[in-house]
Amino acid sequence: MNRREFLAQLGVSSAAASLLMGLPSLSSGADASARRKRLVFVFSPNGVIPKHFWPDSAGKDYDLKRILAPLGEFKDQMLTVKGICNRIQGDGDGHMRGIGCLLTGIELFPGDIQGGSDTPAGWSMGISVDQHIKNRLQADAATRTRFGSLEFGVMVPDRADTWTRMSYAGPNQPVAPISDPYQMFDKLYGQTKNRQMLASVLDDLAGDFKRVGKALSSEDRHLLDLHLDLVRSVEKDLKTEFAAATKNDSAGHAVPKLPPNIEEQNDNMPQITQMQTELLVNSFVADFARVASFQITNSVGQPRMKWLDINEGHHGLSHEPDSNEEAYEKLIRINTWYAEQVAYMAKRMKETPDPSGHGSLLDNTTIIWTNELGKGNSHTRNDIPFVMVGGGLDFQFGQAYDFGKVAHNRLLLSLLEGMGMPEETFGNPDFCGEGALSGLMA
Amino acid sequence: MKSFQAISAARRSGVRPSFGRFKPSGAAGLIWLGSFLIGLVAPWSNGSAAESSADALARGKQIYAEQCLSCHGEGGRGGTDGYSDALVGDASIGELSDIISDTMPEEDPEACVGEDAKAVAEFIYESFYSEAAQLRNRPAKQQFSRLTGTQLQQSLADLYQHFFGSPFRVEKRGLSASYFNSGRWDKKHLKVERIDPVLDFDFGREAPVEGVTPEEFYINWSGSLQVEHSGRYEIVVQSTCSMKVRFGHHQSVLIDNHVQSEGKTEFRRTLNLIGGRQYAIQIDFTQRKRKTEQPPARFALRWVPPGGTETVIPTEYLLPSTLPSGFALQTKLPPDDRSYGYDRGTRVDRQWEDAITAAALEFGNIAGKELWPQYKRKHRKDSDENRGRLRGFLEELASVAFRGAIDEETKRLYVDAQVDAVEDDQMAIARACLMIIKSPRFLYPTLDERAPVSRRVANRLALTLYDSLPSDAWLQDQADKGNFAVDPKADPKTARQQAEQRVRQAALRMSDDPRLHGKAMEMFFDWLDVDPAAEVSKDPEKYAGFDAALLLDLRRSLELAISDVFWSDSSDYRQLFLRDWNWTNGRLAEFYGDGWQPESETQDNRMVRSRPAQGKSFGVLTHPLVMGHLSYYDTTSPIHRGVFLIRRVLGRTLRPPNEAFTPINPELHPDLTTRQRVELQTGEVKCQVCHQKINALGFPLENFDAVGRYRETEKGNPIDASGGYVTRDGRQVEFASPADLARFLAENDDAHRAFVERVFEHFAKQPLAAYGEGVADELVRRFRENEFQMRRLIVEIAVVVATEEFNKESFNEST
Repeated sequence: MNRREFLAQLGVSSAAASLLMGLPSLSSGADASARRKRLVFVFSPNGVIPKHFWPDSAGKDYDLKRILAPLGEFKDQMLTVKGICNRIQGDGDGHMRGIGCLLTGIELFPGDIQGGSDTPAGWSMGISVDQHIKNRLQADAATRTRFGSLEFGVMVPDRADTWTRMSYAGPNQPVAPISDPYQMFDKLYGQTKNRQMLASVLDDLAGDFKRVGKALSSEDRHLLDLHLDLVRSVEKDLKTEFAAATKNDSAGHAVPKLPPNIEEQNDNMPQITQMQTELLVNSFVADFARVASFQITNSVGQPRMKWLDINEGHHGLSHEPDSNEEAYEKLIRINTWYAEQVAYMAKRMKETPDPSGHGSLLDNTTIIWTNELGKGNSHTRNDIPFVMVGGGLDFQFGQAYDFGKVAHNRLLLSLLEGMGMPEETFGNPDFCGEGALSGLMA
Repeated sequence: MKSFQAISAARRSGVRPSFGRFKPSGAAGLIWLGSFLIGLVAPWSNGSAAESSADALARGKQIYAEQCLSCHGEGGRGGTDGYSDALVGDASIGELSDIISDTMPEEDPEACVGEDAKAVAEFIYESFYSEAAQLRNRPAKQQFSRLTGTQLQQSLADLYQHFFGSPFRVEKRGLSASYFNSGRWDKKHLKVERIDPVLDFDFGREAPVEGVTPEEFYINWSGSLQVEHSGRYEIVVQSTCSMKVRFGHHQSVLIDNHVQSEGKTEFRRTLNLIGGRQYAIQIDFTQRKRKTEQPPARFALRWVPPGGTETVIPTEYLLPSTLPSGFALQTKLPPDDRSYGYDRGTRVDRQWEDAITAAALEFGNIAGKELWPQYKRKHRKDSDENRGRLRGFLEELASVAFRGAIDEETKRLYVDAQVDAVEDDQMAIARACLMIIKSPRFLYPTLDERAPVSRRVANRLALTLYDSLPSDAWLQDQADKGNFAVDPKADPKTARQQAEQRVRQAALRMSDDPRLHGKAMEMFFDWLDVDPAAEVSKDPEKYAGFDAALLLDLRRSLELAISDVFWSDSSDYRQLFLRDWNWTNGRLAEFYGDGWQPESETQDNRMVRSRPAQGKSFGVLTHPLVMGHLSYYDTTSPIHRGVFLIRRVLGRTLRPPNEAFTPINPELHPDLTTRQRVELQTGEVKCQVCHQKINALGFPLENFDAVGRYRETEKGNPIDASGGYVTRDGRQVEFASPADLARFLAENDDAHRAFVERVFEHFAKQPLAAYGEGVADELVRRFRENEFQMRRLIVEIAVVVATEEFNKESFNEST
């Protein structure tokens, strides 16, 4: 039984439930029970195998192919968008423009990073849609959160270049994802963790004050005694603070527990993905942010999925021709694994009640899974994968869409419309045509 | 602009004892007050007043009770409506008699004159006024203290550096540069290796050096950044090409511009850096070959130092050697008590406690990220059973932090309990560091009574010379071998001396270290009353060209002057007053003229020696930064200058003015020179008690205007630089020029004693008198004997402080 059912059986509305449970959201004013719309951009690299990815037919009665099969549970709450093309030209190779223009919809600056083909390039010339939405949400007191947005990474190499950055705060301002779950934990819970840690050592410390003070003259000990009094008063304040927090708080402010000593290594990728997902879910519960990106590796990413018995790097495999059956099969399995990660994220959100009282987290969060290419071996940026799961955007879910061949800027405009902040253009206006795509909005 | 209020504030926080300095705070104060009162009951108990006739003293006491007590209070403590200050000072009995005869009691100066005045003067002098009386009444005492803010920063820096190696002094300046005809580090294509004095290049589309193609090259700059004063520095890099800046630690990337992207050419980072420390810096600069048009290659390494303006980082702050990784605490610490004229860690409060917690968390984070991997690399072969390596790491960290080997119980508490509490290594390190840095064992550097004497001696040496803890392997090693203790098996007649000599050798070795440089630089700026970060603004009409850039050059010039006098072989104190040339550059030469003309060619505002200018330049005494600080916005202030010389350079006492005065507005007396105006304002008898001393010392510096520029006239009148001084032993000295004054300050006993005391208190952070009666005399004697070698003086001070521990041992043994 989830929390909503439980409350329903008690016969209280969710608004009243908030009151009963003394949720912290109440303190934020009259609008406390408003729906919290959230977006997560999940990135996986190197294109997909279209034949085993896209449903055969558009519409409500769509089928899930091998790669999307892990999302079966969410078929009614998801949609696929085919026919979206990244038309941005200019400097940079296909991969660079693939990731660098994906959420920005605008060209890259001239620069000195040379890819496998085309011309060298620098950073994006514009803000990315996630950061734009974040700025809009942060500008309004009713939707403002502690961080606004969070940028998660999974095994993103420790290297700042055009292939490793998807999110931009503005022209020439790439936002680095945090790939180390412990570092993300510190960002989210550092203060709380530090205060708990402090509380847990103070008593021992106070004991040692007594030991060292023994040899001092009473005059000298006076300073040490004053100091010890301070230590005790900090200890007391922390106890009071924690007691108050326990009394007033719901699960919303619980600190998740991470498994210890997981190093950022290829083989730990599944575990790191789960840890980051856990942190993402928890930070939505705590309302730390309403926008997130979740970048699994990078454009041209080379994870070796040994846990699937695949020893070659992903990007290397993605260049193999379709006729290489072994590679083809491996690429299907690699992409299926990414789909499983999206499914796991969706599942965790589905089973987590939304603290605003409106259903589950998934009811108010749309996970947008995307990629820098349509297909790896052709480097096409036509039919870029866009799969959306969960009800954050005001879209009609439970169907497959096919827009033929439209510039992806228009989909970015649709995302803004779905968030309730429509714009005429986003990124390069030349690709914004007739504006947001029609037919998506509920 | 300084005002008279500022002077009186400065006096209140002055260096010489006055009652106000010893305001009792808390119970410690009460205990002390007790002994003061007991002292008063029998002020002559040690018989030092034997020569004074008992009759005269008794008479003086009686007159005091009848005519003085109502205002000056019991024991001259003041605190009444009539007179709030304590009657303390360094006037002689004769001078006191004259003052009393002329001015006291205030309502009827005729009531106490002649023999009566003399008797009261004698009574006052012997029972509480004189320094000797103050000492008798309240023997100065070393105070138990926590680490000051500076000491905490330095101790953490050394605790970190213990794992990477000690810093060393580097004479050369500039950064090491390697130019490659290749897009990356490739030995085969290394074309030029050299030292670049500063990094400020505009290669355009040309090759940066011969043998390198303009289309593709890589430059590696490495070395260290030398920081003279603690504070917030903004590092600014301008680069049109791909570049990366590593700072402090080889893996710590401060600026990552791996991708060159059009329009992104300026990078700014703000850091808190610590005076006397060097931070390794390594820069990769790459012009990448490409199909498209390349930007012209430009690179500049710039900064905004505390209180300064943005400039290319001057060469004197760049060292071509890469020093071991370093750590600078970023947590802001509350200021320490400076009521004695130097920082003291004698108070604790919640703000401080919270800052220590933040510092401990910050250090714990860095320890996990940078020290722990370093330790693991070094101890790859150690057994890791039961997380033994982690325990080993934390035990080493704790024993450096606690200044000596730790016992089982301490290890259990600070290491094992923290490791056992959490499975995650980083978390365990964070917990242990939180405990260790918040522990009294770390925060109170003298809380080491139970450590062997030799260890305590090493601890005092590091604290005195570096404001830090012993972290160098050689010093720890000698300490642990017992080298710094009196050998019980040696001939008792010479054993102590031999041990002292070993301590002196260690102190000498430690004195050739950049950490001493930092502490010495802080001392000199403090002594000269120059806040390195202060803005100084002067009337732009009168002093056109005196701007932020010039001010920064002056700061560099003064730093260089101090450094090279201090670090020269002779390290001669007298040169601080006698040197007739300055460190200068084009900008300073143009503004200051004589005494500032470069001896050799200078470009890019690089500092060079000036041609000597006899009679116009007197070492740091007349350095424009010093003279400018001791001036108003548009005129000099002979009073500030005189007070500065009396208090700081000659070490004499002045009491605050009777009330706060606003100086006379120069516009009211357009024809008067500054000297005449000051004489007019301070002409009254009650002012003259002090101002005859102050003015006579300030006037000889009238040749240096409000920005420290040499002048021979003011308002068309020739400068009258005559003045004088009455020495502590009553000798009248006359000065006709600043040269006479400078020579006098270089050679005079009062000045030597004052310097010794100031250096002592800065380094020991304890009153000199607390180390025994003869110590000051002995240090002054040695200072003179060693030809006023300042570094040697500091070594002797460290020896005095450290060998105190010998006495404690014998005390412990005999009880």
